[in-house]
Amino acid sequence: MKATRSFSMVGNPNCGKSNLFNRLTGLTQKISNLPGTTVEACSGSFSIDKEKYSIQDLPGIYSLFTKTEDERLVVEHLIGKGANKPDAILFVIDASNLRRNLLLFSQVAELGIPTACVLTMEDTAIRRGIEITLPELEMALGVPCVFFNPRKEKNTDTVRAILKKPRTPKLFGSTTDLLNRLLLYSKGKTVAGLSEETLRRYIDIEKIIKQTTLKHPVGVKSLTLKIDRWVTHKIGGYAIFGMIMMALFQGVFSLATKPMEWITNCFHWISGGIEDILPAGMVSNFITHGLLGGLEGVLVFVPQIFILFFLIGLLEDTGYMVRASFITDRLMQKVGLNGRSIIPMVGGFACAIPSIMATRNIKSKSERLATMLIIPLMSCSARLPVYVLLVSVAIPFKQFWGPFHAQSLVITSAYMSGITLALLLALAFRLFKRKQTQSEFILELPTYQKPRLQTVFHQAWLKCVSFISEAGKVIIVISMILWFLSNFGPSESMKRAKDEGYILSQLDSNHASEICTNLRLEASYAGHLGKFMEPAIEPLGYDWKTGIALITSFAAREVFVGTMATLFQSDKDKPSGIIEKMQAEKNPSTGKPIYGLPYALSLIIFYAFALQCMSTMAVIKRETASWKWPIVLFFAYGLIAYLGAYFVYQLSTLIP
Amino acid sequence: MEATADLLLQGEKAKIAGLEDGQFSQKLAEMGCVPGTEIIRLYQSSRGSCIAYRIDTYLLGLRKEEARMIKVVPFVPDPLPENTV
Repeated sequence: MKATRSFSMVGNPNCGKSNLFNRLTGLTQKISNLPGTTVEACSGSFSIDKEKYSIQDLPGIYSLFTKTEDERLVVEHLIGKGANKPDAILFVIDASNLRRNLLLFSQVAELGIPTACVLTMEDTAIRRGIEITLPELEMALGVPCVFFNPRKEKNTDTVRAILKKPRTPKLFGSTTDLLNRLLLYSKGKTVAGLSEETLRRYIDIEKIIKQTTLKHPVGVKSLTLKIDRWVTHKIGGYAIFGMIMMALFQGVFSLATKPMEWITNCFHWISGGIEDILPAGMVSNFITHGLLGGLEGVLVFVPQIFILFFLIGLLEDTGYMVRASFITDRLMQKVGLNGRSIIPMVGGFACAIPSIMATRNIKSKSERLATMLIIPLMSCSARLPVYVLLVSVAIPFKQFWGPFHAQSLVITSAYMSGITLALLLALAFRLFKRKQTQSEFILELPTYQKPRLQTVFHQAWLKCVSFISEAGKVIIVISMILWFLSNFGPSESMKRAKDEGYILSQLDSNHASEICTNLRLEASYAGHLGKFMEPAIEPLGYDWKTGIALITSFAAREVFVGTMATLFQSDKDKPSGIIEKMQAEKNPSTGKPIYGLPYALSLIIFYAFALQCMSTMAVIKRETASWKWPIVLFFAYGLIAYLGAYFVYQLSTLIP
Repeated sequence: MEATADLLLQGEKAKIAGLEDGQFSQKLAEMGCVPGTEIIRLYQSSRGSCIAYRIDTYLLGLRKEEARMIKVVPFVPDPLPENTV
């Protein structure tokens, strides 16, 4: 059924728009881009009297005259520049902040789009001594209005009732030829008299407020202020921030252990079943080793990724992340960033791609660029599988270095080296770019709210689904190519490997199949490719198998694990097959393990620094509108990664 | 001497008198810093580089340089002409 009318939701940030959206649309929502733009918006549908309406939740804005990227695209959507102008607007007003919310309303009113208006947070308004008379307000604005508390009320009948009959709003006082001025403004031209216009609007708004609200005096005391006293304390604030971050990562590791086991077991059950059903041979081998092996390597990390997205979502939803911006702004400014950078930087631990897009609300161009460029150095969740695999291979689980758990210490250091390099580079970038654009930090500190578990959960889930489908596609293709490359080779060398394998397996019948597999792999196309690049990566301590995994993980880092799994063709009977097999590999000339501690440290550093993610490069290209930065970053971070790995390997081989 | 919002003491209440002309003024006005509005200085980040104010009914975090753009006059409870305190 086609939607009869499309609504777009407009309102200030933190006005309860998304809550209302969730109540209206329930489970029909999905995240998609606004038509013709790169702004992510939730869209969904609802019905009134069996008629279907579609609705989009736009990012919150304070004004139509805006310089930040994200907000500008919202404005373009509303004025129909992206071709799809909404039929009607659902305007959301925070009743406890009527005046500032009406500023945006007064601008939107001049677009002449039929509007219906929902007022949220009536309870907060009453607590603050503000009483709004709805009929008067409807009269003044010229559109149907209703109070609705999306946090408590489930029944949206009252909202649907006004959505049936949106009306074109009345204009406030004098009209100002808004549309033309907006078009000028969006082209980057300066529009004169904006401040005066804003003040004039406020005078009109003040009149409306006088007509429609009663103000009762109340005292200023709130829980938010009490919490803020702690979290913005000059020493305590940083300590709390540090503890929250630590708890975040602890949570990611400890909560994910069980679900990860379930996924692994599930895969072994499936591939076992397939081997029983299908006759042994190429097809069965391809499905179980090539495809399922590669997929498992990635899917097993979905719990960790989900938990990371979920916890970061919680921090943002409560309003805490804004306070983190507030206390870190000083430090951030020193290295040429902005307090606002902290949110995408923390988000970078989950995934660089949405975080790079989240830099759009940093107004200053140079600060935004600097933030974007260092986000790939935040160890994202795709690097986690690589780190975990490497520390599990090289370091016994029960090993302690002094008071520290050795495995966690190494992983923590990987994160820290990424952050340190990021801050250093930001500083270098600031010194290098002498001409500064104006920096700004005017930020609303929203009232703390209980996190909406359901919403945050749903959002994290949607992000995971898109991660799985994106990564899944790449992995299926790469596993297929890789399986082919590692099972076929130049016929001459394959034949030689077969003969050799036959002779050797006669001598050592216990390890016959392993020996044959290894020889075949070495003779295959993949083996040739790996051997070809071995001289370049040998100083870093990598063998040719790692070389192949390095190449394939340029598509996405987590492919490394899948590749190693395919190359080692893990046994289905041993759940941790790949770790044990890697541990068993010995260097024939020295007798030391190939995948020992120096190897692991060197490779972890390489992964911490190198830009091995096609999607990140693509999104940087899109956001900076040129290939310059992705290419510069690719080579610069690649070089730093290579040198870093080289030094780490050479130093750690010195330690006995 | 003209008082600006960055000079308010912690917990001090004042009324916004106007905005200094400059690149922040438009944004500040949009965020509700308009003449006549009540402003209270609440708390600050270390060394006072960022200051949180209550403007009307909501909290706003500003850098010190941005707060300097907000001209304030002493708060007078009644809408009488502004007397010196």
